[in-house]
Amino acid sequence: MDTVFLGESLLPGKLGQFFVVLSFGTALLSTISYYFATNKDRPDDSWKKIARVAFSLNFLAVIGIGASLFYIIYNHLFEYHYAWAHSSKSLPVYYIISSFWEGQEGSFWLWTFWQSVLGLVLVFRAKIWESPVMTVVMLSQTFLASMLLGVEILGLRVGSSPFILLREAMQAPIFSRPDYLSLIDDGNGLNPLLQNYWMVIHPPTLFMGFAAMIVPFAFGIAGLWEKKYTEWVKAALPWALFAVMVLGAGIIMGSFWAYEALNFGGFWAWDPVENASLIPWLTLIAAVHVMLAFKNSGQAYFTSLFLVLISFILVLYASFLTRSGILGESSVHSFTDLGMFWQLFAYIAGFIVLALAMIIARWKALPFSKKEEETYSREFWLFVGSVMLTLACLQVLATTSIPVFNKIFGTEIAPPTQVVQHYNKWQLPFALVIAFISGFSQFLKYKKTEPKKFYQQLIKSLIIAAVFTAFAGYLTGIYSNPMFMLLTLTSLFSIVANADILFEAIKGKWKLAGSALAHIGFGFLLIGALVAAATSKVVSVNSSGIGFGDEFAKSNNPRENIILYLNEPVKMDPYTVTYLGDSTSGPNTYYRVNYQVIDEKSGKVKESFDLYPNAQQNAKMRQIIASPDTRHYALKDIYTHVSSVPLKEEEKHEAHEGHSDEEDFGKPKVYQIALGDTIQIRDAVIVVKSVNRDAKVQNIPLKKGDVAVSLGLEIKDERKTYSAEPVFLIKGGNTYDFGKSVDDLGLKLRFTNILPQQNKLELTVFQKPKAEKKWIVMKAIMFPYINLFWGGAILMTIGFLLSIFRRNKELKTA
Amino acid sequence: MKKSALLGIIVIAVAIGVIVSTYADSSTYGNFTDAQKSDAELHVVGKLDLNKAIVYNPIQDANYFSFYVKDNQGKECKVVFNGTKPQDFEKSEQIVLVGKMVEGEFQASKILMKCPSKYNKDQVEVKTATSVQS
Repeated sequence: MDTVFLGESLLPGKLGQFFVVLSFGTALLSTISYYFATNKDRPDDSWKKIARVAFSLNFLAVIGIGASLFYIIYNHLFEYHYAWAHSSKSLPVYYIISSFWEGQEGSFWLWTFWQSVLGLVLVFRAKIWESPVMTVVMLSQTFLASMLLGVEILGLRVGSSPFILLREAMQAPIFSRPDYLSLIDDGNGLNPLLQNYWMVIHPPTLFMGFAAMIVPFAFGIAGLWEKKYTEWVKAALPWALFAVMVLGAGIIMGSFWAYEALNFGGFWAWDPVENASLIPWLTLIAAVHVMLAFKNSGQAYFTSLFLVLISFILVLYASFLTRSGILGESSVHSFTDLGMFWQLFAYIAGFIVLALAMIIARWKALPFSKKEEETYSREFWLFVGSVMLTLACLQVLATTSIPVFNKIFGTEIAPPTQVVQHYNKWQLPFALVIAFISGFSQFLKYKKTEPKKFYQQLIKSLIIAAVFTAFAGYLTGIYSNPMFMLLTLTSLFSIVANADILFEAIKGKWKLAGSALAHIGFGFLLIGALVAAATSKVVSVNSSGIGFGDEFAKSNNPRENIILYLNEPVKMDPYTVTYLGDSTSGPNTYYRVNYQVIDEKSGKVKESFDLYPNAQQNAKMRQIIASPDTRHYALKDIYTHVSSVPLKEEEKHEAHEGHSDEEDFGKPKVYQIALGDTIQIRDAVIVVKSVNRDAKVQNIPLKKGDVAVSLGLEIKDERKTYSAEPVFLIKGGNTYDFGKSVDDLGLKLRFTNILPQQNKLELTVFQKPKAEKKWIVMKAIMFPYINLFWGGAILMTIGFLLSIFRRNKELKTA
Repeated sequence: MKKSALLGIIVIAVAIGVIVSTYADSSTYGNFTDAQKSDAELHVVGKLDLNKAIVYNPIQDANYFSFYVKDNQGKECKVVFNGTKPQDFEKSEQIVLVGKMVEGEFQASKILMKCPSKYNKDQVEVKTATSVQS
């Protein structure tokens, strides 16, 4: 095409694309050089030198890609598809950051970026492990870099570049115009659900976790490759802990984002995308435990190796699930398919082959343990616990993979209809067993423990836990479910047992603090999740079953959404909830919903707070995107979201107050009245309290002969009394009247005539039809004790951090 | 018996249990004709019929939503859902319903939509309508 396009800024894209190619080339070169550096380096270490130079260039190239892309998005260069598709001019800077990784390309970049950063740490810190470990890391980096290439090789498209131009990405007639860019005013913008501060921080954390999973894998491979069958475990342990900590934190942040910004009403939904990140976390946490067992007892070598290797393969599987489009309709928030199915598949297959080949090649030399573990030994129960974690993972994996099975076997199996129940049925017993083991194995020593002492400690902790459980069961009301009680018991047991260790730690054995804290956090997390999910209660149960037939209501779930009219309080046990109006800020409309707890006897307001659930309205698309607002208490949360609101364009019609807004009201009613009369209208009563014969009208001076009469009206509805004073005016022979509105009731009152013959006055009442009063449909859920879940997660993260310090220190002293 | 053998048996038993349960709990994709024959909940894939009434009137009932769907075999059925109307409903290209048939109406417990998301749509929005010439 010879057209010269006006106003395009092509340099950043060209530069970006150059960095993309450079990053691929240098990653490949670095992989190859590190390979030779490991296998047969020259005496002068020249392969290693080349590898390091290539790695440094790769690092710079990755930074260069990020900088170019950020420049493009930040400057709203909509000639680039990525900027156009994921951002808009109105986005504030911090959301420009999240639009950066909304697309697949940006999130791949994030992954390569973290992998580079971790690579840098490895180059400086890994010492003798550098060459073999970096070979594997850079191999992964090569695969990732290829995802961004966006070039055609032998008719196959390899990767998807973020620097593709809008006119290249799409076919439309306007792109034949040289000045097409001047016609494109704004980008598509960021998905409103992602415009949340957690979306700024959740993806980087999650991808840092994913990226960190390569390091233990690389150590595992390096151990086999260099025939250092046992040494790698120690070196890999801090890295495995790091990956578990960061990925865990990333998952919890995602959960918190879902709770704060999405309206599915919960913190975990067993959605395939959530599961995809949980699966490798479960296997790696299992790996950490058996690695410890191996390090201290020489047992469970192969399990450690297997779990470390499979964890990274499952990371790749997770990204395959979310990015290849295979989940299709079974998930709400996977990425859109970019047609990279086979490329993603090759990435997994490559690493599976690598892991399998290494294991097979070294099979005979692997240090399998000949003897059995003692029953009263820590390593045995670490092993059993890890097996349980792996089985729990297997269950999540099996159900999440249903779409994959369908693809492989050509079947058409649908996921379970009751997804949450299906998972909970399995995960609850697993959690129970795992919590129990994580408690009592703290009382066991490596190699051999004296059973008598063990049972003493076990029974002591169990009794304390039982007391707490009885108390917790009573407090939360879960005592009627034996499984819930059992999980609470084992979780509390784990907390008590680990608290015991923590006290020891404070007394001086500091190195025990990390694991004790992490296990305590895990215990709280389980209890929090259980109680919040099991006892969450829909507050907004709609008791007014008018409408579409009782048959329908009977056979279905309780009616969980409720309609609120403006200023009409509705009782939802224990709250009295009132919709008080809305305000607009940017694209969001905030609906002010007031909650009050009113003491029944005294009628006093004991507690009152406002929540502002919001909805982004898109009148053109005729849709709303709602986000909840939550009142956080120490012991419970009140979560509220709007489920349906009148669309704005309809409201505007109602809002343009001015000369003749009476068309918004229903047909007026004319009443002939006298002082003291009472008029019954819909929902209210009007009483004529006074007739004032020398009323004053603002800004209108009255001359002789002019008459101004006003009516003192009192309007009472169920809750409140309003007053209004419409005026009737005769001035210079003409009559005028000044009506008064009572907005809360949708009323307008006009004093329209004086009828001297009948000795009556004429009042015209305009009342809005009820439907046109402002309304929202909302849903409110109470989550008791959910802070235990978040608090547990935070404790667990701190515990991991302490453990990393400890294991890292061991590495130095050894 | 050795402990490891015992553990191995437990692992295999649980693994089999997991697979059986995944299969047992799984549902099937079907159509309205299948739904009529079955008492169990199943997945029906179809398209929304925009020519027929889509009823969501929160003023009357905030938890009643009804619409018509044509399944993949072309059979049309009224669907009722007790909840609010999902966002972006009319835009859906394909709908997956989870539920069962009750007296000629399909009562959905879950609605999944496949939408041409606004954020991925391949349509360029142009500044002024006058300048679009095709």
